[in-house]
Amino acid sequence: MNPLLSKPWAALLGRRLVQVLAVSLLIGTLCFLMVRALPGDLAMRVAAGRYGYDLVSNAAADAVRAELGLDRPGWLALLHWWRDMATFNLGQSLVSQRSVWHEVTHHLGATLRLSAAALAIAFAVGVPLGVWAGLRPQGWVDKASWLMAVVLRALPPFLLSVLLVLLVAVQWSFLPAGGDESQASLVLPALTLGLGLAAGLARVTRAAMREVVVSPFFEFARTKGLSDWQALVRHGLRNAAVPVTAYLGVQALFLVEGALVVETLFAWPGIGHALVHAVFGRDIPVVQGTALCMGVLFVVFNLLVDAACLALDPRHTQKVAK
Amino acid sequence: MNRLFNPFSPLTRRRALQAPVAALAAGALPAAWAQDTNPAAPPAPLQIVGPWEISGLAPASSGYVFTRMQVTETLLDAADDGQPRPALARLWRRSADGLVWQFELRAGARFHDGKPVTAAAVVRSLQAAQVAPALLSQAPIESITAPDEGTVLIRLQRPHTALPALLAHSSTMVLAPASYGADGKVRSIIGCGPYRIALLVPPQQVETVVFDAYDGPRPAIAAVRYLAASRAETRALMAESGQADLAYGLDPASLRRLQRHAQNPALARRTAVRIASVTLPRTVIVKLNAGLPALRDVRVRQALSLAIDRAGIALALMGDESLAATQLLPPMLGAWHNLDLPPLQHDPEAAARLLRAAGWQRHSDGLRNAQGQPLHLVIRTFVDRPELPLIATALQEQWRLAGIAVKVSIGNSGDVPRGHRDGSLQLALAARNYANVPDPTGTLAGDFAAQGGDWGAMGWHSDAVVQALQELTRTQTPPERTRALRQTITHTLQTELPVIPVAWYRQHVAVAPRLAGVTLDPLERSYRLTGMEWSNP
Amino acid sequence: MSSPPESLRAIPPEGGRTPVAWRSQFHGGAEAEPSVPPRPFRWPVRTVLGITLLGLLALFALLGPWLVGASPVVQDLRNTLAPPSAQHWLGTDVLGRSALARLAHAAQLSLGMALLAAVSAAVPGTLLGIAAAWRGGRTERALLMLSDSVLAIPGLLLVLLVAALAPGALWALYAGLSAALWVEYFRVSRAVARPVLAGDAVQASRLLGFGRGYVLRRHLLPALAPTLGTLLAFTTSQAVLALAALGFVGVGMQPPTPELGLMMTEAMPYYEEAPWLIAAPTALLVWLVAAMMLLNPDRETA
Repeated sequence: MNPLLSKPWAALLGRRLVQVLAVSLLIGTLCFLMVRALPGDLAMRVAAGRYGYDLVSNAAADAVRAELGLDRPGWLALLHWWRDMATFNLGQSLVSQRSVWHEVTHHLGATLRLSAAALAIAFAVGVPLGVWAGLRPQGWVDKASWLMAVVLRALPPFLLSVLLVLLVAVQWSFLPAGGDESQASLVLPALTLGLGLAAGLARVTRAAMREVVVSPFFEFARTKGLSDWQALVRHGLRNAAVPVTAYLGVQALFLVEGALVVETLFAWPGIGHALVHAVFGRDIPVVQGTALCMGVLFVVFNLLVDAACLALDPRHTQKVAK
Repeated sequence: MNRLFNPFSPLTRRRALQAPVAALAAGALPAAWAQDTNPAAPPAPLQIVGPWEISGLAPASSGYVFTRMQVTETLLDAADDGQPRPALARLWRRSADGLVWQFELRAGARFHDGKPVTAAAVVRSLQAAQVAPALLSQAPIESITAPDEGTVLIRLQRPHTALPALLAHSSTMVLAPASYGADGKVRSIIGCGPYRIALLVPPQQVETVVFDAYDGPRPAIAAVRYLAASRAETRALMAESGQADLAYGLDPASLRRLQRHAQNPALARRTAVRIASVTLPRTVIVKLNAGLPALRDVRVRQALSLAIDRAGIALALMGDESLAATQLLPPMLGAWHNLDLPPLQHDPEAAARLLRAAGWQRHSDGLRNAQGQPLHLVIRTFVDRPELPLIATALQEQWRLAGIAVKVSIGNSGDVPRGHRDGSLQLALAARNYANVPDPTGTLAGDFAAQGGDWGAMGWHSDAVVQALQELTRTQTPPERTRALRQTITHTLQTELPVIPVAWYRQHVAVAPRLAGVTLDPLERSYRLTGMEWSNP
Repeated sequence: MSSPPESLRAIPPEGGRTPVAWRSQFHGGAEAEPSVPPRPFRWPVRTVLGITLLGLLALFALLGPWLVGASPVVQDLRNTLAPPSAQHWLGTDVLGRSALARLAHAAQLSLGMALLAAVSAAVPGTLLGIAAAWRGGRTERALLMLSDSVLAIPGLLLVLLVAALAPGALWALYAGLSAALWVEYFRVSRAVARPVLAGDAVQASRLLGFGRGYVLRRHLLPALAPTLGTLLAFTTSQAVLALAALGFVGVGMQPPTPELGLMMTEAMPYYEEAPWLIAAPTALLVWLVAAMMLLNPDRETA
């Protein structure tokens, strides 16, 4: 029977739906309160964001304050915000005056593309390495991947990206050093993020492979007469895939946030960069809208990871339904 | 148990592992092949990269992006020295009493949507520019009208000689009526310049192509692309790898790197860029609150100035010792740079003497006044220009040696005007563009007015300066009188030091070898794309 | 609660190793194993190496500023970006300050701050995790929902918002980081505490009348200690990297305080003409992470 139609799945879905609602309300209110509590005059910050340091002045701030009605009392604004959330109206950015939904999808979409590419690279590089290291422990691949993991984990992303750009874009003139024009300009930032992830993924895959190789069912498969490769492919990989999927699920979320420095460096129009600008510029609607979308995305993504784990290993319904 | 539904059959798993690798290889190869361009094909678009992002479409927010790309035009232009030149207005007249200005528009000018440029459209754009902080709000305008299709009439309440300069600012750029939405906000950029917008993706990208119905000479460059990249290293690397033809906003480190590579053939990359430079009318200033008890005394302000090692700061942080400011306005502002003024010095002993004379005694932990209070100040600055926090750190150390404890507070650029209004500002470090309005008179009048200015004097005013600025603004003074008034102003600012100048600026641009005819605009109003052309290799 | 009576003190705490002599006593003595002296406990090479690296780093952080002697704030604007020499072992930075002195002070500050942030995340996280595992039921569900919701907020946003409450203040950075990091402690301590609290040993203790404090001290803490220890180490290195990223973005400490992230950001533009300036803080971070990974090779997530 299809595990995705079973009862644990329905329960899981139900719980996640409730979680989405609770998360949205909590995040929306929390962001609202926090941004209001920040120091600095809101109208002045918005004016500075809009007009830049050459033109910002008290007159500009007064005009912004009048235009946006920023001298409304806080509780009234909160009620307005709850009403807007209920009608899925995310409002307009205070700085650029474009619709928040448009801004968020534009930026978040770019970051998601980057994250997906980074995941693909990490998967393509890390998993085969991890499998090999797991099958031949203490070999040179194992030691090399450990060293790579340490170095890549500790190197700040901006340093790694500069090194990559120097090597690839300038020395070999292969790929663009910045911008968002073509598919090619995705490769370098994705490589920067993907390599670090690949190192960690290789180690996790290695650990999972070790567990599989010493397990009784693997030994039984070999005893049955299957070759190393057949036993691995038929029995080993699926069992090893569960912890790997869980790890990837957790790391992928960090990717979206951790892409901030990479986005700034490669002029990639992503969400981290936009979020920092919005917090500094006190662009409340953008901050709230971004937080909401990312929160919902988080829940949906968790759902997908749970579904993947469930499909991979239907026994672990207890673990998944935690 | 679940044979019927097994999404991970061996075949698909293997394919799942192979697919990303194949995709990666497939994705990278065309990019490599694309580098070999067919020489017969038209050259790739001119790629400009700079630090400025497009934050919204309002003319006051991002108008400068579009005037620089020559997509929109203003009523008047400005020459390098600030003199007004015709742009959209073919000629202009001023009435005898200076209260009525008449502008005749170019006959054949058209908007990018095909409609002709009418005076009504110009009036609408100008009226939008009267809302702060668009600079037209500085002029005492009574009304802007269009008596006929090709004439714009501006009536003033008082004479204002800087009006032509104000009309050259990007916030007064002229947009077609179709650009505005129903709520009066700008929804798209339909200008009347030699280039029209092909693609606009705020905040980072804009692509333009030549506008065929432009009534002037057709530019040689057919398509232009602008990309905003916020880090200087990225911009320099894009220039070196050939991805960008013009890279604006090079920091001293990137500049040195590019110069090193140009001199050493072994290090030369695929493209040997050359550097074009121009001095800007921008000064790094320390804005003071002269209303504070400690800073009310002019000797303390002069001591603060004498303690600054300007040559060291210019050398270490801006790459060129000659950028150390000797007075407020840099030499490129011509008549405003007063050669008779004694330059600002670095003299720690003289500073110590002045502080003692002002009543500050030197103790082991710094200066204290007669009541035993230490001299503690806070300097505010912002990160929008990356060299400012470093300059603030250098100033902090130099003043610490003089016995003044200064705390650096890095925040938002809006904190400075806000601190000016509520009186909480003590010191601020900023990079002031004195040709914000192409004629410095306008900027100075705003900064050093009787009640001070958000980016100028605070708690200080000088009747001589105020009167001189008023006379320059309201009347067309003869050259001798102009010179005398300017000297009064610069001399007073140099001795009283309501703002302390630190360093001037030079703009460096990396230019690709395939580009010829590149000139830089010191007023930063235009990239001068119409003057450029492809050089034959 | 009062200490247990004499006869019951023989029950070993959870997770402890049973000495051979005791074991034979428990099994009745008749079938005691032949008395083989136990193998002396030897630390694996990896752990020794990890502890050594960590120890050296801690020494550098604690004594470095005093040993180096030079001031990290004195500038020399005409001797900037100087290569390493006898006078300045790591050269000078863009303002002519001694890079080694700044590194020593930065190590002290960054590591200390990160440790403080990790501890201020660990304490509430662990307490809440134990509370959730202990109470179960509605409390646990509510806490789980809270932790899931906090996880759902982008960590970066949370840190930015909390840190922006007081720009440049240290406590705001701690608060921001711990708000983002406490969830992991919550989850780990709950996962460890649940089997312990449901186990026989705790049941026996409760039946014998021992109170909460005893259970906490004798059962939970020994079970949690190893996991929490390594988690603390990892959170510290996570916090150091997060602080570096924040400094990169412009939410850091105010000058002239030397801080690892700020140093890396300042040295970045000079990666070609003065690579040692960015190599030094980077090497320090690699050192830290290598020590962590050596100490606990099983935990691959950082």
